[in-house]
Parts: sequence; structure tokens; C-alpha cells
Amino acid sequence: MTSVEIKSESKKIEDMDKEWEPKVLAFLCNWCSYAGADLAGIGRIQYPPNIRVIRVPCSGRVNPFFLIKSLQCGIDGILVSGCHPGECHYVSGNLVARRRFAVLKSLMEYIGIEPGRLNFSWVSAAEGEKFSRVVSEVVKEVKALGPVKRLVKGE
Amino acid sequence: MGVKGKESTIVDPKIAASTPVSSRIGAVLVVGGGVGGVQAALDLAESGFKVYIVDSTSSIGGVMAQLDKTFPTNDCSMCILSPKLVECGRHLNIEILTCSEIEGITGKAGDFKVTVKQRPKYIDVEKCTGCSECAKYCPVDAIDVFNEGLSERAAVYVKYPQAVPLAYMIDRDVCIGCGLCESMCLADAIHYDDQEGERELNVGAIILAPGLEEFDASIKSEYGYGKFRNVITSIEFERILSASGPFRGRVQRPSDGEIPRRIAFIQCVGSRDTTCGNSYCSSVCCMYATKEAVIAKEHQKDVEPTIFYIDMRSYGKDFDKYIERAKEEYGVRFIRCRVSSVSEDPETKNLRIRYENEEGKIVEEEFDLVVLSVGFESSEGIRELAYRLDIELDEYGFCKTPIFHPLETSKPGIFVCGAFSSPKDIPETVMQASGAAACAEGLLSPSRGTLIKSKEYPGERTIRGQPPRIGVFVCHCGINIGGVVDVPNVVEYARTLPHVVYSEANLYTCSSDTQKLIKEKIEEYDLNRVIVASCTPRTHEPLFQETIRESGLNRYLFEMANIRDQCSWVHMHEPEAATEKARDLVRMAVAKASKLEPLERLSLSVIPRGLVVGGGLAGMTSALALAEQGFQVYLVEKEKELGGFLRHIHYLLDGSETKKHLEDLIEKVQSNKMIEIFLEAKIEEISGYVGNFKTAIAIGEDREKREVEHGVVLVATGGEEYHPDQHLYGKDPRVLTQLELEERLSSKKFSGEPQNVVMIQCIGSRDDTHPYCSRMCCSEAVKNALKLKEVNPKSEVFILYRDIRTYGIAEKYYLKAREEGVTFIRYNDTNEPRVVEQTSDEGGKVLAITVFDPTLGEEILIEADFVVLSAGVVPPKANESLAKMLKVPLNEDGFFLEAHVKLRPVDFSTEGVFVCGMAHAPKSIEESISQARAAASRASTILARDAIEAEGVTADVNDRRCNGCGLCVLVCAYNAIEIDEEKKVAVVNTALCKGCGACTATCRPAAIDLRGFTNEQLVSVINSF
Amino acid sequence: MSEPRDQIREHARRLLDEGKVEVIIGYEKGSVPLQSTPCFVRDADNVERLIWDSTCGPNLAKYLFDREGKTGIVAKACDARSIVVGIVENQIEREDVVVIGVPCEGVIDLKKIDAVLDGKEILEASMDNDKVSVKGDGFEQILSKKEFLCDSCISCRHRNPPVYDILAGDELEETKESDEFEEISKLEAKSPEERWNHFSKELGKCIRCYACRNVCPLCYCKECFVDETMPSWCGKTTDLSDTMTYHIIRALHIAGRCVDCGACSRACPEDIDLRALTKKVEKIVRELYDYEPGLSLEELPVLGIFEQDDPQEFIK
Repeated sequence: MTSVEIKSESKKIEDMDKEWEPKVLAFLCNWCSYAGADLAGIGRIQYPPNIRVIRVPCSGRVNPFFLIKSLQCGIDGILVSGCHPGECHYVSGNLVARRRFAVLKSLMEYIGIEPGRLNFSWVSAAEGEKFSRVVSEVVKEVKALGPVKRLVKGE
Repeated sequence: MGVKGKESTIVDPKIAASTPVSSRIGAVLVVGGGVGGVQAALDLAESGFKVYIVDSTSSIGGVMAQLDKTFPTNDCSMCILSPKLVECGRHLNIEILTCSEIEGITGKAGDFKVTVKQRPKYIDVEKCTGCSECAKYCPVDAIDVFNEGLSERAAVYVKYPQAVPLAYMIDRDVCIGCGLCESMCLADAIHYDDQEGERELNVGAIILAPGLEEFDASIKSEYGYGKFRNVITSIEFERILSASGPFRGRVQRPSDGEIPRRIAFIQCVGSRDTTCGNSYCSSVCCMYATKEAVIAKEHQKDVEPTIFYIDMRSYGKDFDKYIERAKEEYGVRFIRCRVSSVSEDPETKNLRIRYENEEGKIVEEEFDLVVLSVGFESSEGIRELAYRLDIELDEYGFCKTPIFHPLETSKPGIFVCGAFSSPKDIPETVMQASGAAACAEGLLSPSRGTLIKSKEYPGERTIRGQPPRIGVFVCHCGINIGGVVDVPNVVEYARTLPHVVYSEANLYTCSSDTQKLIKEKIEEYDLNRVIVASCTPRTHEPLFQETIRESGLNRYLFEMANIRDQCSWVHMHEPEAATEKARDLVRMAVAKASKLEPLERLSLSVIPRGLVVGGGLAGMTSALALAEQGFQVYLVEKEKELGGFLRHIHYLLDGSETKKHLEDLIEKVQSNKMIEIFLEAKIEEISGYVGNFKTAIAIGEDREKREVEHGVVLVATGGEEYHPDQHLYGKDPRVLTQLELEERLSSKKFSGEPQNVVMIQCIGSRDDTHPYCSRMCCSEAVKNALKLKEVNPKSEVFILYRDIRTYGIAEKYYLKAREEGVTFIRYNDTNEPRVVEQTSDEGGKVLAITVFDPTLGEEILIEADFVVLSAGVVPPKANESLAKMLKVPLNEDGFFLEAHVKLRPVDFSTEGVFVCGMAHAPKSIEESISQARAAASRASTILARDAIEAEGVTADVNDRRCNGCGLCVLVCAYNAIEIDEEKKVAVVNTALCKGCGACTATCRPAAIDLRGFTNEQLVSVINSF
Repeated sequence: MSEPRDQIREHARRLLDEGKVEVIIGYEKGSVPLQSTPCFVRDADNVERLIWDSTCGPNLAKYLFDREGKTGIVAKACDARSIVVGIVENQIEREDVVVIGVPCEGVIDLKKIDAVLDGKEILEASMDNDKVSVKGDGFEQILSKKEFLCDSCISCRHRNPPVYDILAGDELEETKESDEFEEISKLEAKSPEERWNHFSKELGKCIRCYACRNVCPLCYCKECFVDETMPSWCGKTTDLSDTMTYHIIRALHIAGRCVDCGACSRACPEDIDLRALTKKVEKIVRELYDYEPGLSLEELPVLGIFEQDDPQEFIK
């Protein structure tokens, strides 16, 4: 396999005279939050375009390392969203994840990562409105924090 | 698909009289596309039958699609239903006929011909992409029935956003014929000249799942529905609560849009009410009202809900705990009374409720909103359907079914499930749906697999060692994407990305001509990975995967970028930002796609035999249901004889005897050649997994060992009567349990002398050690009270109760008992009755019962010849060891805990293991039979296959890294991982793995990975920023 | 009762004589004053090599991982707790181990003594209950032992091994004198920026020698994440981002497992305040799930299980 790295040239776009816009990466579970995000679309509920979604089967799939790696790559804010407790398509993936994220978030904040960088939510397949609200909140908060500096590689 | 056709060995004589075994049609018609119909259809299609679903509305989903949350778990209704609808919609062997009604029927069981009338939709379902452009431009505002008239929709509409099929239709009653929609539709799907159509379906069996209608609340004029704007029905309130409802989940009242603080729920509107003819109980309203109260409180902290009820009928599994939580945690107020009237303050539009409280005082209270908990009833449409199919209805217009055959209508070959046969909740409906499917499968088993389609594919290309060659197809989706996102720009950008060798734009990437084109491009450019940037993978991934599979690529070499639902639709006013986002999404997809590898779906053989644990009613019924379908069964019973709990039940509420039914059933089981019975048998060990279990059984007194192999396990271990230690039970021979009383009454040991009998309810139920309701004791008490009255009308019978829970049609017998003079006295938790022995005036020793009568407001004393304790149902102790062996959970009360309380009521998370009868929770005879058949139906979806295809996305262990620490074993909800004690590494059983990835994310040395969502793939996406 | 040391020797002799174990892992006097080293005694005649005093710092549990055959081990509470974690995590067979538990009043941190001696070399040393006397070229000093205990010993809440087969010495009364999370709370009170600066400075010292990992009994992975490729989890450079990532992930990996034996801090050549991380994850797990690792063989790994009502205030 060739090892061509696929890299964004978006930094260039940012450098143009526009106001700085943060980039937020979201890990959404396939069954609830991703469906909720789709529902927001069906309802044409508008939210800030700063978010990029990675679809995962379950919030339980999200390795804490992914979030650390995202910060290293200069992602300004991260959102992980799964099914509400009791609604997990895989019975309890979200509940295992909840402990994992609780520890991760506390530790990261303790080290000095701004609380607004790492965000977690439960969004069900019927909560298109909530999804858009969560995204808006996260984007607003990350915007207020400014571009990510801490933990970014090469900063 | 690999479904076997099997010879049936036993034939029901009733059915044998109809159609010869050889010519039965291997297709089934399901009438009604609600959750019941959908479940029945999926079970049937999965076990080798062609299915037609006929629904009178424009899409399937039924009432459940309208619900916000479901009790007692507060699960989002749509979240759990939608995957089933989608599965139904794309199943190769399920055909959905919407806007359709049954016109007529000829033929008999095994071979029916059914005429179906299809109303025109004026939109071609095949062509419509569900893009919604038409509705956006439609100038008409019509009432949205799905939102119970609380909002408006266009004349061209889809029932609800997640509807299956997701195709629009035109409501010609309101359409003004302006032609705007036709000009907006780039898919050419609109046909104004669509005509009514007719179809003739040839099916072997019919399952009726039409549901019931809700009661028309305006009939109860004293509550002011239709007059006062702030009096609404519970289903209207359900839509108000729904996040996708008319107010997007904001709790508000109709008159002024204000948030109502004081909300009253009035129970039993159109239920338990002889004045409107509905003397039955609608079974679900107590729970749904409590749920709505809780959810309203969750949405709006300062809401103060009050529920006005007669008896709290929270009889189901874990229901009482839910009520307790509503009281304790949410502060929901419960007031026991009948509301006499509702009046409106003309100025504030607030409502005054007048009721008589328990002390007999008339009270008035003001509320901002009143929700009427409307019951179910039969409708004109349902009567019409019954008439056309020539099936009998009961006095209430419900489908008439015999107690021992709860899924059979009066006409052979036509089965029933769900609320149509009596009001019931979702899990009961789902159980019955699977059960009815089992009935149809039993009837048609010789024709299994004769009418189903399966698809042939070309061989898969090997791509090992080849560098990625990616093709990117970007969809305009008419103007849905192209109107916002600069599609050509995205196409150009895609071309610049590494490994991308081809990219192009399509008007509709999902159209059938584009599928052809994708295949051509795969050929032409030697593509080995394909990306489609369009809508959501949740609906469209299977279609495109199918396309690339047809051209010889493994279906997992596909990736989607969602640039519509999650981009153009939600950033409509920011085209530049949307374009930049679409570029990013495509780049992320390319990053992942370049790391994709072909995945294999492992094929696992199935041993076509079942093991049934427990030889009671449920066990025997499920064993027979499997045998009817041609599967061999091992039936294990711990006692020396079959029969279980039912041996102690001698007669039923309607007075009919059970003995003959039980004897018949035992006879049938014993004489069935497909069933091997092990009596006095104990299961010692179970190993293996779905399709391939091995069980060691010790049989008889001398513990003779036997090892059997089977593909599924059905748990039917039943329940036991609680052994009371209170109220002098065991100390005084005049204190009996209901079962002991029943024994005496049936063996005529009760003299004809008039007796004073006091029955005490909830013994070993709803107490600290048994916090659940045993569900059947109220009906048992009413049944035995009626029997006592029958033996001697002069007998005095008192029933001391907390709530009378004669739900459904059993309510009729409660009323009868009252009419016949049985005295019902309510007691509460703080004032339990006391039983003592004392000397009577005549000098004899009598039993004296003291109880506080809330209506009199004082303690009363009753002297009794007998005290009868309504002892609850407790789970057998042996459940614990069986649960361990099967690796399935028990709930806090010791009953088996199903995979999902609503939609998977007989399954476990562990595949191939099912539960039925009182092993699951206390239940009635009808319910046990329905569930037993349901378990058989679910089991047959496995047994009917030569092999099961495992998921492609599964976990995979790298032995070199694995420490064998067992953390993955712990987090796996499916028991799919074990530690190989020899090698000290984790081993994934691909047959059981569902591909959630909880193990992967938890593994410290990254020794376990998830195929299809590997660490490398996901990190590659992150690294692309 | 005789001294714990004598009891250890007695038990070791008996276990070896009776063939109950093949080897006893304990401590012997090191070549440098005030230092002890792990020793493996296979012959009953050699049990006199075994010692027990305040220099017995190393976490011997490390040697049980990957070990086969019957083994006796001298275990302080923190060693015993590491053993418990090892058993729960399938790395140590319970029946293969005979734990000779020793109640422990804390071990001394040589770095602290070195610090007050300003680099002067200790040539001779002796100890009694609460004093340490050190002699060297032209100096002699008597130090209060209490002041030179390891940080993890100062705040120790478990002086008695929670699981053992044989107990050498008498159980001690557990103390809760100091706030074990005092240092953590101080850091928590700072602003995110101050904390970031603190950790940048501390972790910036890291030379990626992995001594912390190598000495930790719970770092038993066959392949450590830092060495893995496809994907590569963590760059091997001393770029602050990579170093931080290494320490963050290591902290996450020991969350709910670390028993605060202090081995990593003692091993760090750069004297990085590693307990600021390990003690923090301990605190998080304690506060959220009321859990302390290594206290019971019945408990399941705290991050592998869940409760329906686990805290979730951080979730929107």
C-alpha cells in the first residue's frame, strides 16, 4: 500500500481575509445521533457549517485517543454523541463509553485543555432540533476559545 | 439466502380439511403495517416466506411512529422502530402495498386469493427520491393528520420524515392542481393522472394486525373535548411532546401557546365505562399517562402533572417501579377518583376539574391543560374488514379468539395479533405478531422457501496488493445539493485527492441509470473503491453497496459522504461554507476509503433442532410450534410430568375448564415424533453459540447423562406460587392461597354451606422483597369469588385490594363480581389488613380480619370462615444457574431479562436464545401461549436456514498484541468474546459479534480492532485535517 | 511476636521446605546504603538474605506478571494491591501465588535524603523506628524518617495488604491524617492556562526513556501503544505534543488500576511529578465511581463496567 497522506489544504482557505472559523469534528453513533443529524436535515434546521462528521457504529467505538489525536491535528473542537442511556442499539456501548469519556474529559481539563474543546452529548434519532442546538452551542463556545493551540503538533 | 423447505409431520385436523399440504402457498398477507404487522412480516420473510404488507395509509409505522417515548424505559419510539421499518422496506421478500384496502377474499387456509384495492398516490413511488422539493413549493396548507391536526402540511406530503416507503403523495382532496410540484420535480415522479389500481394476491395465510382506533373523546361531553381548546387527547399530547412534533417538543397549550404548568390527566376516557359501551379496560392508559407526565416534566421543569385515576393498572414487567419513580423523582401527583366534569374559565381558558375524592368530598381544582387518556375501540373500518374476511368479532368489536388459541380467528388460516383482539401494549403486540407468524409458518411449512427470491452475484474481484483506485460520484440530488453546494467544484477537488482516479457529478446518483453508469465506470477505470457523496448512508448505503457488489467489488469497498442531510440542507444560506464542508467530507471519505479492505461475511452452519427448557404451558406450546414447522425439539422438564403451573389452574374467568386443554396439549406433545421429552431432567452444561449449541442433561432419578446438539434454546422455566409467611398461613388451616382454594372448589371439597370468605390481594407482590405486580392475582381472585358465589350465592366474599388490575376484557368479570355482591375494600400500604384468630359470640374460634375502609374512614372488622391469600408469582430459584450457563441476564426480581422490553420481548442479546412464559414475567394463559409461539417464530428465523451469515463489520484480535486481560470480554454486550485460557488471548466469535466496537475502543494495546471501522481507517480520517 | 523480618524468613523457609513454592520473591540489602533490591530465594538455606525495613520500596508485583510456577512473594499493601489487579486482569494465577503480606509504615525516598545532603555521598546508614542516621565523608546526620517517606507513603490509606495468604507482622491502624489529594486539589484550583503551563513544564522534561512504564507492574502489555504502527498512536519525538500525548494516554491506561505505589515517580530520572497525573486519575475514579483498585478479588475493572445512573453532568 502506498502511504500517500491525505491532507487538508483548508489552512490556505482560512488564511484569506475572512473571519476565523473553527473546525469541529463530531463522532456520531450510527443509530441515534447520526440519525438525529439527518433528521435536522430533513427538517431543514439550520446550524453552523463548522462541523465535520465521522460516522461510527456506536459511541462505544470512540477511542479516547481519537480525541487526543484530533487536537494534535489542530481540530478546534470535538463532539462525541451517542444514544441516550437505555437506547443504545448495542445495549450498553454508550454506558461503557460514558465512563471512558468522563475520565478522559476530567483528565484533559486538568491538564489544561479548555473545557469547551471536548464535548459530549446524547442525541436520539428523533432529536434533530437538539442536534442542531448542540452543534450551535459547541461551535459558539469553540469560537470564543479561539484556534486550538494546546497539544497541537508543531505549535 | 439458504432457506430450507421442510416436511411437516403433524397437521392440525382443522387445517387438514382445507388445502392439501403440497399445494399450500408459501406467501403470507399481513394486514396493517404498524409495529405488529412489521414484526410479523420480518419474522416470516426471515424464515422463508414471501410477505405482502397492506396498509391503508401512505406508509408503514402505525401508531408507534406517532409516539414520542415508550414506557417503562422512556426509549425514543422512532429510534427503536425506524430500523425495523427500514429493514422491512428493503427486504427482498417483503412487498409493501400502501394506500391499500382489502376488497375481497376467496379460497381457504393454505390457498387464499385476496383482492386489494390501491388508491392512487399521484406520485411514482419508484421514481420519488423523497427529496421534498415538491412540498416546499406547494402553496396549499392542509391539516397534518400525523400531528393530530396540531400543525399543517402541504397538499403533497409524506406522512412523517422517517416514513417507509419514503415517497411523497398528493392529497387530491386539497390539491388545487397548480402544477408547481410537477415543475419542481426533477425526478419526473409526479403523475396527476394516476388511477386506482387493483391487485390479486395469492397467499397461504393471512395475519391481521390492523390495530384499534382511539376513542372519540367528544362523546364524553362532560370533559369538554372539542369545546374547550385546552382539553386535548393523550395522542395529541404525545405529538406535542415529540421532538419531531408540531412544536418540536415544546410543551405548550393550544389556546395561547403558553407553557401549561398545571396539567391534569383524566384516565379511563372511553374505557371501563358502560355508559359508552366500552366496559373493558384499555390496558395501556395508566402507563402512557404516567409516561407523558414524566416526559412533560423532563421537558419543562416546572410542570405539575396530576393523574386522576380509578385503579393504577401498572401490571406489566417493571411498571410499578416506573410509577414509583414518577411519584418520587418527578413528583407526579396521583389522585384516585372519578372526575365528574370539566369546565372552562372563558377568560383564561383554564379548566376546572370537579371530582369526588376518596373521602367522598366534592373537590374543585384548576388546571392549565387537561389531557384525556383515551382508550381503544373498534371502528367501522375494522368491522368492515372483519365482514369482508368473514371472521367473528366479540361483543366489543374485537377479534374473537379462544383463550387457548389467542392468535387464531374464527376462520382457519387467518391469524390475528395486536390490539385488534383486545387492547394491548407494544411488547404484547410484538409477541403476538411473532406468535401469529409462527402460526402461519406452521400451516405453510411445506411451502417454506418456494416463493422467495434470492440474488445471484458475480464472483468477487481480488484487490489484495493493488493500490487504491477510487471513484467519486457527487450527487446534485436535483437542486437539493446542487442548489447550495458548488457540485462541480467538489468534483474537481475530488480529482486532486490521492488515489482518486475518477470523479463525476450526477443529477441523482441513486437513480437506476446512474447505477448502470457506476458499474461502467468501475469497469472502465478499474476502480477498487467507490465513494458516493450524496444523502445519508442510513437509507442509501445498501443500494450503492449492492451496485458495486454487482460489478464484482466487495460491498465494503464503499464509502459515503453525507453532503445533503448533513450539509446542503442545514447550511442552505451559506453556499460557500457548505461547499467547503462538502469538500472536507469528500476528503475524509477518501482518507477512509483508501484504507478500506474487503470484508467477509462468515457463514455458520445451523443444527436445525431446538432445546426447550421447561415443560409447562409455554414450553409445550413452543415445542409444538417448532415441531409443526418440521424442526426436531428436545423438551426438558424438571418434574416427573409435563404441565407446570397450569396443573393448578382448573377453570378460567369465563367458567370454562382447563383440564381437557391441558390433557390435549400433553397428548399432542407426547405423541409428536419430532419432540423428545426428558422428564425429571436437569441441565448440567450448555456450550456453543447460535446455530451450534451442545447441552448436557442429567435425566431421571439415576441422573442418566445425555448430550444433545441444537441450534437454539428456548427458556420456558415458568414461575411458582409465592409461599406466604403472613396472615396465619401455615398455622391455621382456614388460611389458604388462591391455588389451594381453587383446588378445593374444583374438587368440590367446598360444602354448599354459605361461607364468609375474605381474600387479601398482593401477598408477595408489590412489597419490599417482591416489588413487582404478579399481574394475574386480581383476575384469579375475581374468578374464585365468582365461583364461590356460584356454589352458594349466599356466601359473602370480600376482596381486600390495593388496585384492581383486571386489565383488558377481564374487567368484564370484575364488574360481574360487583354485580353479584362481592365486596371490594381498598387498603393501602400503610394500612395493611390484619388477620387474627378470636373467639366469636357463639364461643367458636373464628378468623377476624381488621382493615381500614377508606370510604368509611374507619377500621372495620370482618369475621371469616376462610381467609384466602392472593399469593404472587415468584421466579424459580434455578433461573440463576440457567442464566449463568446461557450467559443471559435476569432482572432484579429474578425473571429473565429480554434484549429489549419493547421490540425484542422474546429475544436475548445473546443470539439464538429466547424466552417465553412466566420465565419472562408473570402472565396469563393467553399471554404465555402468544409468547411461546413468538419464541418459536423467532427461533425459526434461525432454524430455517442452512447457514447464518455473520456481520461483515466484526471485531478481530491481533494475538501478538493481546494480553488476555479480559476487558473486552467484560464490555461485550453479546458474549461474543472469550479468553482462550491456553493461549491467553481473546477470541471473537464472529457469529455473535454485532460490530459495535466497544471492545476495540477499550483495548489498551489496540489488540482488538473493528473491521470496517478500524483504528487505522479512523485515524486516517482524523489525520486528513 | 517476633519482627516482621523474622516472620518473613520463617514463612519463606517453611514454604520452600514444604515445596509449596519454587521461589520466594522478597527484598535483600542493596549494595548502596539505604537501598534494598529485589531478591529471588529458591533455597531454604538462603532465607536469611531476606530483609524487611523502610528501604523496601520496589513494587515486587512486577515480577509476578509473566511468571509461571508457584511463587511466594513478600508484599506491602501496594504490592498486594497490584497483585490483586493482576489477578483480576488475568495476568496472575491466584493459586500460583502465596502472598506474604507485610503491613507497611512507608518507605523512604532516597531522592529526598539526597536533596538535603546536597549531593554528599552516604557511606554508612542505620535505621530504627523513626530515625535514619546517615554517615559520610566528614558528616553525620540523624534524620526523622517521617520527613523522608515517599509522597505516596505519606498519603497512604492502605497500610495493610487487603489480600494475603500469610501476614507477617501485626496489622497497623489505618490513618487518614493528611488529605491524600492535597497536591491535586491545589493544581485543580488553578486556571486552565496555569495548569497547562505547569504540565508543559513538567512533561516537557521527559526524555522518553520509558522508565515509568518499565517499572510499573500494570504496564504489562506485550506491545506498548507508543511502539505501535498502523496507526501510529504517538510520535516518538520529544515534541511537547507527543510527550504530552504519551503521558495522557498512559494515565488513561492506568485509570482505575493504579494503586499509587510510587514506583514511576521514584524511577523517573528527570524527577517529573508523575503522581500529579496518576493521583488525579485515582481521584477521578474515586469521585465518580467510588472505586479503589486492588482491594478485592471480586471487583471488576471499573472502566469495563457501568451503572445505569453513572454521573453524566458533562454530557449535553
